[in-house]
Amino acid sequence: MQPLANITPLKPAGAIEVRNVGQIFKTTTQDVVALEDVSLDVRPGRFVVLVGPSGCGKSTLLMMMAGLRQQTSGTITISGAPIPEPDPNRVGVVFQEASLFPWLTAEENVEFPLALRGVTKSDRRARAQDALKLVGLDGFGKRHPHELSGGMKQRVSIARGLVQDPPVLLMDEPFAALDEQTRMTMGDELLRIWAATGKTVVFVTHSLTEAVYLADEVIVMSPRPGRIVDHLQVSLPRPRTYEMLSGDAFGSLRDRIWRHIRKSA
Amino acid sequence: MSAATLRRLIVFGLIALWEILPRAGFIPELFLPSLSSTLAAGWNEAGEYGHALAVTLYEVAISMAFACGGGILLGAIVGSLPRPRILIMPMVSSLYAVPLVILYPVFTVWLGIGSESKIAFASIYGFLPTMLATAAGIQTIDPQLLLAARSMGATLSQRLVRVIIPAAIPTVLSGLRVGGALVIVGVVVSEMLISSAGIGYLISRYRTILDSPHVFAGVLLVLAMAIAFNAAIKWIERKAAIWQTGTRAGQDSAGEVAPAALQPAT
Repeated sequence: MQPLANITPLKPAGAIEVRNVGQIFKTTTQDVVALEDVSLDVRPGRFVVLVGPSGCGKSTLLMMMAGLRQQTSGTITISGAPIPEPDPNRVGVVFQEASLFPWLTAEENVEFPLALRGVTKSDRRARAQDALKLVGLDGFGKRHPHELSGGMKQRVSIARGLVQDPPVLLMDEPFAALDEQTRMTMGDELLRIWAATGKTVVFVTHSLTEAVYLADEVIVMSPRPGRIVDHLQVSLPRPRTYEMLSGDAFGSLRDRIWRHIRKSA
Repeated sequence: MSAATLRRLIVFGLIALWEILPRAGFIPELFLPSLSSTLAAGWNEAGEYGHALAVTLYEVAISMAFACGGGILLGAIVGSLPRPRILIMPMVSSLYAVPLVILYPVFTVWLGIGSESKIAFASIYGFLPTMLATAAGIQTIDPQLLLAARSMGATLSQRLVRVIIPAAIPTVLSGLRVGGALVIVGVVVSEMLISSAGIGYLISRYRTILDSPHVFAGVLLVLAMAIAFNAAIKWIERKAAIWQTGTRAGQDSAGEVAPAALQPAT
């Protein structure tokens, strides 16, 4: 007979389940419905992109998956359990580059979540080195953020999100502050890291090209109230290449998303 | 020639002029005694100056603790909570514009002419800029940093120690620089006005008997104190705020002028 701890959980690690989620912001004059009846399943290891015009609640939804905000109604489970508060063992979050602590070096930034949990210095350093190596920043650990380029800072952010090896990685417009070339390079880098680690990724962006280029699935949202208006499967082969951007398949997917957004914006 | 070398040369030039001009008779000794006679006057009364310096340093130290401790504490509260901010900030800002020295005679009535009135006056004098800078420093922390810390599971106290305090240090230090300089001004000025001890008192007493070398010996001591304070702050800034490279540290030379420029008229 198997010991209890080895019984397979009902939901495998990395699955995200969003059920009838609503969010209402109360202001003094009126209640604003930010999200209405949003349901969504993300299977483990998938790369899912949320797109939509400003105010559609895509970042709000991501913050809920991260446990940084609680929904007014409905349920969200990560790996089968609700997420009432941030849990970096289950969910890593990557923000824009400005979220690195400027007074810490790259490796100290990556160690930060481990230091919060009292992991020993040597253990921390070793795991930070591994994470930095994974994102291609081997040897840059001693630099402060102001000594790194925008793309390198974003790599540090990703390393920080991955250092505790959570099955889910949530990314809130991580490349928004980067220039076009760096953005393309970072997209390829992210896909490489994703393929190497097998994480479930939920990625919020404004860029339709970025959405189609990166995703297995694209979720299109509309504003006021925020709800899901389309759910596209991107069947382009992997690895994705620059040449696909000008292909018909790519173009028709992007057009389909654009039509939704134009309608609601 | 580097800017630093040039700066040093200018300082040495001024010191040389201080010695040469009075000695050559271009400036009467009453207006500006030569450096050597000033030093000699100070040396001859070393005991008296030493005692005065001890009194002044004691008052400065206590006032510094009140001004900086209170300023940082209250600034942190006001900076992080919106309601007290709305209540207090306009008052503090207008108070900052008032030449507080007009209140000093009242302080002497309340607290006597001993150290207590100087400490009270200098503490309040240095408290205001420290508090304003701390409040601004806390208020301007990037919310994204706090959100990132929360996403990594940081508790409230961990956020305070690991994010809020380090993020506020550069602004707080620039407040301390101004606040600390004002504490020195506050102590010396109040000693000059109504007092029985301290360097300010000595300067004022020797001035009434037109003993210029002794006046300038006192002035030199105050100068030395201000320079030592500035060096200490710079040392702390270097230790604590390496990450500010390109913003604050780059303005190092400008920073030396700032405290003097920011002091309200006394």
